[in-house]
Amino acid sequence: MNLPRPQQRIEEHGHASGDSGGVRITRRRALAGLGTATLLPALAAPALAQPRPLRIGMITSLSGPFTALGESMRAGMRLAIAQADDRFAGRPVELIVEDDQARPDDGVRKARKLIGQDKVDLLCGVISSGVALALRDVVTEARMPTFLLGSANDLARKAASPFILRPTKTNWMLGSTAARWSHEKHPGTRVITAASDYAAGREFVGDFAQTYQGLGGQIGRQFWTPLGTADFGPLLTAIAAERPESIYVFFAGSDAVRFLRQWKEYRLAGRIRLMGTGACFDQEDVLPAVGDAALGAVNTFHQSPTAPASAALVAAYRATGKPLPGEFSTTGYVCGQVLRAAAERTGGDPAADWARTRKVLFDASVETAFGAMPFDPRNGQAILDIHVNEVRASEGGLVNTVVHTFPQLRDPGPDA
Amino acid sequence: MPDFLGYGAIQTLNALSFSALLLLNGLGLSVVLSLMNFVNLTHGSFYLLGSYVAIFWLGTGAPWWLAFPAAFLSAGLAGALLERFPFRQFYARPHLMQVLLTYGLSLIFADLMRWGFGAQILTPDLPGLLQGVVFVFDMPFPIFRLFLIGAGAVLGLALWLLLDRTLWGAVLRAAVSDRGIVETLGIDTRRVFMLVLVLSAGLGGLSGALGAGMLAAYPGLDEEVLLLALVTVVVGGLGSFGGTVAGALVVGFALTFSKVWFPEFANFTAFAALMLLLMLRPSGLVTPPLRRL
Repeated sequence: MNLPRPQQRIEEHGHASGDSGGVRITRRRALAGLGTATLLPALAAPALAQPRPLRIGMITSLSGPFTALGESMRAGMRLAIAQADDRFAGRPVELIVEDDQARPDDGVRKARKLIGQDKVDLLCGVISSGVALALRDVVTEARMPTFLLGSANDLARKAASPFILRPTKTNWMLGSTAARWSHEKHPGTRVITAASDYAAGREFVGDFAQTYQGLGGQIGRQFWTPLGTADFGPLLTAIAAERPESIYVFFAGSDAVRFLRQWKEYRLAGRIRLMGTGACFDQEDVLPAVGDAALGAVNTFHQSPTAPASAALVAAYRATGKPLPGEFSTTGYVCGQVLRAAAERTGGDPAADWARTRKVLFDASVETAFGAMPFDPRNGQAILDIHVNEVRASEGGLVNTVVHTFPQLRDPGPDA
Repeated sequence: MPDFLGYGAIQTLNALSFSALLLLNGLGLSVVLSLMNFVNLTHGSFYLLGSYVAIFWLGTGAPWWLAFPAAFLSAGLAGALLERFPFRQFYARPHLMQVLLTYGLSLIFADLMRWGFGAQILTPDLPGLLQGVVFVFDMPFPIFRLFLIGAGAVLGLALWLLLDRTLWGAVLRAAVSDRGIVETLGIDTRRVFMLVLVLSAGLGGLSGALGAGMLAAYPGLDEEVLLLALVTVVVGGLGSFGGTVAGALVVGFALTFSKVWFPEFANFTAFAALMLLLMLRPSGLVTPPLRRL
């Protein structure tokens, strides 16, 4: 849990000392050179021919509440690198993964270590928006090119930074589309909400309610439960007593699993229309653990295993012995795809001229497992297709099945 | 009006089922803490191990009810091994040393279990028998939760009989009071303590097996469960069996009804109430007569 974990490297190379590109002379190499002077050119030649590795630092949660998500993110990133034969634009890729334990202070410490000690070329990662917001100032101060993956709306708004690109969703994209879908399908329905009481839950439900009311819909009672609720019985009994037609929910990880299982145990499944954010029905993290309890539920998400753009990833991910990919394995993979595009469009050195790297990414969209991904030049935020997924049964279990797509959603960004 | 009655009845049953889980979980911890004066923070690990064993057992299709003894035995075995080394060496040490030892061990076990069982969230395939509902004033209530309440009551009663009404229980309580005297009677107290630890770990595993249907199993649950168990034992009062029962009921009802009445401030109200309780009764709800020297 709280033990420090060894950093993990995909490739080990001789220690290139920072930007100078020089090779540190080790005792062994010096002895070899002294002993057999004739061999020296042979030893030196491959070291010179080998381009300096592209060092990528990744901060994610490998312990604490988001352990499973962090492992998925790392697996997705590794898959993207492996598919490129461990080289982006001819440069060998060296991935250094650090654990933030989902705690902002740890995330900041690990970022400083990756920037100062490991001298990474690019930084990416994070699951928790709290960590993402804490990293924002650190990487901006250090002028560190960063691909930041939290989803708090502020990351695309007042916390946007010229050093940060965001190849993932914002919470607004999911909350507002769920409201639009609900209004389109069942206009006039009173919808109640239930969500985990922390920043993400407040944003999802806030954006849902605001959009829904803006469309003329009616929001009923709003329930909030602490993050990490052991027993949802009292909440579900209260929801049953409200007798609503529809409910919009946001829970994540173990909260989502408990909520959905108990949702069925208390016989609410099938009686109340269940809508939520995609994370509450995550393909990899939640659905395998809930049996058929989530059957028929609808969610809005930027990720779906049945979206055409993710077909190649689904096949490749399953070939590594994993289940259908969920949000964070896809996010890690997409981040790898964007990093690769950044390297390829800059001739292998995306960190050398960051303004140019931003420009080449803004100029043309990147083909990713989230679909074609243009970036909004105002805030570096990805513009994404948001899918409406219905949870349907198939031979392999429950599958998030795309029933509608809101194309190319752009966060209001600085205008919000 | 029947709506109101049904609502109240279901919420009371919700509170009872959560209390049953707290009781099962707290009993294992309190047995070791109150009888052996040993602070065992690996208790959450026993719970989580029991959950994983039960989930895998239920996944194999073997008779479902055997999952519970299987969880009890595997956690008990882990307890027996740990008792031999290193717990035994720490009985006479101060509490702080015991805390350091057992907390450190719990971190190691957390990593071992994550390595062995994976980081994903697992849930048990409950038998059809436990998946139904009963209707109370037209409101559905899961049978599984009635099963939890029943299990809590039966196990609690059995443990009380064992410790309070049998010769073995008397030997144990005597060994805690004055180990030397009990030894002079020709009883091997090391074996007695070993059995208590096996019982405690086994209860942890068993409560994990029962609780998996409500809480699922995932890395990190061990700490959450340990915290609830500590709260239960401390509120109830150290050193008494009745205290743990009272603690489980009070904590269960406080956490449930705070969610019913003040959903947004559930944790705040529940723990503020428990804190107030501890300020009024610093040694818990039930205080046994002092017999420590």
